[in-house]
Order: sequence, then C-alpha cells, then structure tokens
Amino acid sequence: MWDHVRGGAIAMACLLAALGEVFAQQQKIGAPPEAQNMRLVGANDLQARSAYQPTIHHQGERWIAYIGHHGGTDEIPAPVNPQTGKPEPNGTSIVDVTDPAQPKYLRHIPGQEGKYESGGAQMVRICDGKALPKGDRNAVYMLRTFGGEAHEIWDVASPENPALVTRIGGLKDTHKNFWECDTGIAFLVSGNPEWRTRRMTQVYDLSDPAHPVKIRDFGLPGQEPGSTGAVPTELHGPISAGPAGNRVYFGYGTNKGGFLQIVDREKLINGPKEPTPENLRSPEIARMPMSAMNGAHTTFPMKDMPIAEFARDKDGKTRDIVMIVDEAILNECNEPRQMVWFADVTVEKLPMMISNYTVKEASGNFCERGGRFGAHSSNESMAAVYYKKMAFISFFNAGVRALDIRDPYHPTEVGYFIPAITAATDKRCVKIDEKERCKVAIQTNNVETDERGYIYIVDRANTGLHILELTGPARAVAGLP
Amino acid sequence: MRRWPAILAAVLVLGALPGRAAVETGQPAWREIAWPFPRDGWPAGRAFRCNNGGCNGVEVYIRPKLGFCNCDRGVADDDEVDRVSDLDLINERFAPLRPGEPIRVANMSGRVRAYELSMPGDARRAAVGIALSQRCDLFVAVAHGVAASRDLQRFAATLVETNEIRRWVQSAMQMRP
Repeated sequence: MWDHVRGGAIAMACLLAALGEVFAQQQKIGAPPEAQNMRLVGANDLQARSAYQPTIHHQGERWIAYIGHHGGTDEIPAPVNPQTGKPEPNGTSIVDVTDPAQPKYLRHIPGQEGKYESGGAQMVRICDGKALPKGDRNAVYMLRTFGGEAHEIWDVASPENPALVTRIGGLKDTHKNFWECDTGIAFLVSGNPEWRTRRMTQVYDLSDPAHPVKIRDFGLPGQEPGSTGAVPTELHGPISAGPAGNRVYFGYGTNKGGFLQIVDREKLINGPKEPTPENLRSPEIARMPMSAMNGAHTTFPMKDMPIAEFARDKDGKTRDIVMIVDEAILNECNEPRQMVWFADVTVEKLPMMISNYTVKEASGNFCERGGRFGAHSSNESMAAVYYKKMAFISFFNAGVRALDIRDPYHPTEVGYFIPAITAATDKRCVKIDEKERCKVAIQTNNVETDERGYIYIVDRANTGLHILELTGPARAVAGLP
Repeated sequence: MRRWPAILAAVLVLGALPGRAAVETGQPAWREIAWPFPRDGWPAGRAFRCNNGGCNGVEVYIRPKLGFCNCDRGVADDDEVDRVSDLDLINERFAPLRPGEPIRVANMSGRVRAYELSMPGDARRAAVGIALSQRCDLFVAVAHGVAASRDLQRFAATLVETNEIRRWVQSAMQMRP
C-alpha cells in the first residue's frame, strides 16, 4: 500500500516537473530574449504588422531597410498607421537603420487588402537606378509584390516619399522574386491565370523600370496552359547567379514535394519562348528531387567554396554548393520537420545532398511553444562579410540560427537569438477536441544581413524587426573584430 | 451538381456505414482495403472497394491534406482539382472530360471533376477527383473504376457522406483551425 502511495507521489512529482519544464519554455511578456553569441542592437515594432522579406540597402549616406508584409489578421485586418492616423492594409515598411540601435520608421506603403497570405506586399527587392542599364541614375527602385495580384516598382530615392513607377498586374499568387541589378533581368514569381499552377516564373527585362518588357513565361512541363495529367510542384522562388555564373537556381515546393532546378540562364532568356514542353525543358540542366516531405523555399548558391578537408586532394578542392531551406507551415509540429539542406552541385547534372541542419527540438521544447517550428528562409545577401562563411536561418519559434558553413559538409550552429514576445505578438492556434487552443510565441519569419554585418530578423506574428550582431566565437567565424 | 443534395439526403436517411466489413444497404457496399500507394509527401489515407450496387470493383481513396495555402480562396478552380486530388497516385497521365463543378460536402466546399485515366495497354478508365477545403486544409477523394464518371461521382458521394467517414474526416482535419 505504502509503496503504491510513494510510487504515486513520485510519479506525480515527475509529472509536475515535466510540466514545469514545458511551461518554463513558454514565452512570457517581459521575459528576456534567449540568445547565444548573438546580441540585440535595436528594434522596431513595424506597426505590429506581420512581416516577410527584409532587404537592406546602402542608400547615399544612409542604410534603409525595406520590409514586406503579409496581410492583416482576423482581429486587425488593417492596423492604424500612427503617421497618418488611418487604418492601412499591410504593405511595405521603410525604416532608416543607419543607426541600428535607433531604427527610425520612415514610411508605410499600403498593400493589397486581405488577411494573412491573401493581402499585403510580401516581397521586396531593391536596385539603384545607376546600376540598371537604362534606369534613372537618380532613382532607387523598389520591386515589390502587391498582395497576390501584381508586381509594382516604386522610386524610393527619397524613402520618406516613395513614388509608384509601374505595375505589372492581372496575376494571382505573386511571391518571392529575384532581380539582377546589373542587367535588370527579373525572375518574377507569378500566377499567370492561364497556367495550371499557382506559381510559376515570368521573366522580365526591368532594365528600364518605367517600361517593363516581358521575355517569357517559364515553368515545368505539365504546368503550362493546355497540358493534362499530373501538375508538378509549384515554384517558390529563384536566385540567379547573373550573366557571369549563367545559372538560375529555382526552388519548388513549400513543405512538400520539393526540388532544386538548375537552369541555364542564357538559354532561359534567349531560347524559344513559346511555353511548349520542349521549350520548357530546354534550359534545364538538372532537377534534384528532395524528400516528398520537404519543400524548397530558398535555394541559395555558393560557387567555388574551398573545402578545408579537401585542400590536399588533387581534384575537387572547391565545390559548388546550394543551400536549400524548407518552409514549415503547420503549427506545433503537425508536419514533417522542415530544415536546411546542403547540396553539392559541382557535377551539375548529378547534384547530391551532402548534409543538413535542424534546431534540436528538445533544446527548447519547440513543439510545445506554439506556432510554427522549423526552417523558413535564409539571408540572401552575398556581401563578403558572411558569404560562404556563415548563414542565418529563420526558424519560426526557435528564432534565428547562426550557422558556420565554411565546411558545408558539416554545418555547425554557432549562435542563436529568440526575441522576446510583446503585447503585439499574435497568437497561433491548433484545434484540440474541436476547440481552439492558442499559444503566443515568436515566429521569426525572414532574415537578411547588410554589408556591415548586422542581422535583421522580422516576425510573422507581428512582433516587428530586431537588429542583431554576432558576439564571441560566432563573430570570429565571420572574421569580424 | 444537382444530384448532390439528393445524394446527401439519401445518405443521411440511410446513415450508411462503410466499416471494415461490407454493409448491405442497397447502396454501394464499401469494404476497406489497404492503402495501395507508396508513401509520398502526405500521410496515407483510407482506401475502399465497392462490392455491389452496380459499382463492383470501383475504388475510392480519401485523405486529408493538412496545410493548404489558399486559406481564404479555397478550391477555386479546376486546376486546383488537377493538382491536389491524388489522381496522379493512380496514373500521372489523366485528362479532364469536362469542366468541373462546385460541390459542398459536410462543412466543406470545393470542386469535383471527371477525368479519363490512361491505364497500361492503352486502356482507358473513368475517374473522378474531388477536392474540398476547410480554411487552410484540404480533403481529397479520387474514385476510379469501370463505370461512367457520373456514376463514379455518385458512388464516391455515398462513401464520403457516411457517418463514419464524416467523423473520421472531422477528426483528422481538426488538427488545425
């Protein structure tokens, strides 16, 4: 009897301890951020708008952050802009981050009405007019999506007073574009209503942003108008290596059926343009399928990486690597783990996955914290400060993770930062026994870096922008003083 | 489309249950079989074969797909049915027979579309794809067999509308609001 009582008490104590451990991982307003080898420099609430892509641009003497937003929430479809006193559908935030400790909110450009993924202006890329072959030398151009229905180009030379230059409309599900500033060639992620897929590529010549010239539609055979049968996985986003690299790396899928497609840029731009299966196949060099349980949100190329371990090998001392980042989309781990993969594409026809990285779930009980846990995106800046040395991965409720990727066969985490939640942080819910159960957790959505080495992370759950810097050993990995 | 309310009413009256064993109700009697496809990006669903009611040999595969990007728009067009309704599990070569139709089943709305599947040996077989959405999740069904596509649609409806399947779908799809 006594043994039973004592056993029960021990079991109860263990249960309470376990529950305490779980609850201890729940974020609380006022609690400090969690960090290792990363430090908060400054922050801005971005008017409590759900944020997607940040792009940081050195503009004259200033550093300006352009941040795309998802649509509003059920509770607040159009947050009030304190600068105008009016509710505005989420669009693009423009923030002066010249002093990263004191970021200054300059302007909000409203986006498309709509909630969550149905509105806003998620994507943003910047090119100087003087870099573009036919741009106005005094202009700074911002390419952004407008909800799902259009792409827009704004002149943001005066970031406080942006002016609309042009719009490419009549689309659906526009998303993660890429724009080559030295040529003006843009790979626009669009949904052409005539195509069978939600998202595909529209290649444009935006060398004169005021006069966009469409080059072609591009996608996978089976996605084009008039085709039948199975429809291949939709596009998520491309990254071009430009005319010198002559490759475009396309990522398909979100959290399912993903693959990397390596495309000959020259053939893509100058090849036959009619969207026949043959013409769509022609520029493809290789297609590397991933597990059907993962998608490819970001495909970030790093060519000619010296691999220290291979330094004395007669061949293969350097490798061409593509880092592939999946996107988690379901709350509280209701899907296969979405993570980071490294592919060796040195032999382009036969790319091979060589390594991977994920945050250890048990390191923070992240499946219990609420919201999404898993990878979403990486920094895409190719500035020398971090390129081929470090990668920063947004990992939703696990914040941002800093990876040492100098040996891409063995990527290693060297730091992380999980911002504190605020009163603005939005809840994330799951249904249990037909009732909604909601939790509040940080949802670090996207990340970008600048040439100075600052790291910018933004939150999908309305917590705003956090500007970070590396400390300690992580700083040494990048060679920073 | 016009047949669905009548089918729904009939099924509700009959309260047909597929169960693990065939149930004789005058309606198609469904026997659950093993999921016949290799693992893909989604967890396996449930598979059924009809044993009577003029639908002998017709098979229906159903499964929820949690995590669908068109949370507001839902299954808005026929291309969406082509993409998501699991026809490619049977054969990647399929062609629509006609434009799809909007449908509403239980609390979900979506579209149904009839197809012709290319089978080995140049054989042709009718199939019906159904894609329904509830906010950010999908429920899909595909039926195929030696039957007219309109009949396949009717057979699939009798299965999807059974109390057991409705309960199963509800349970599987409540994982996410």
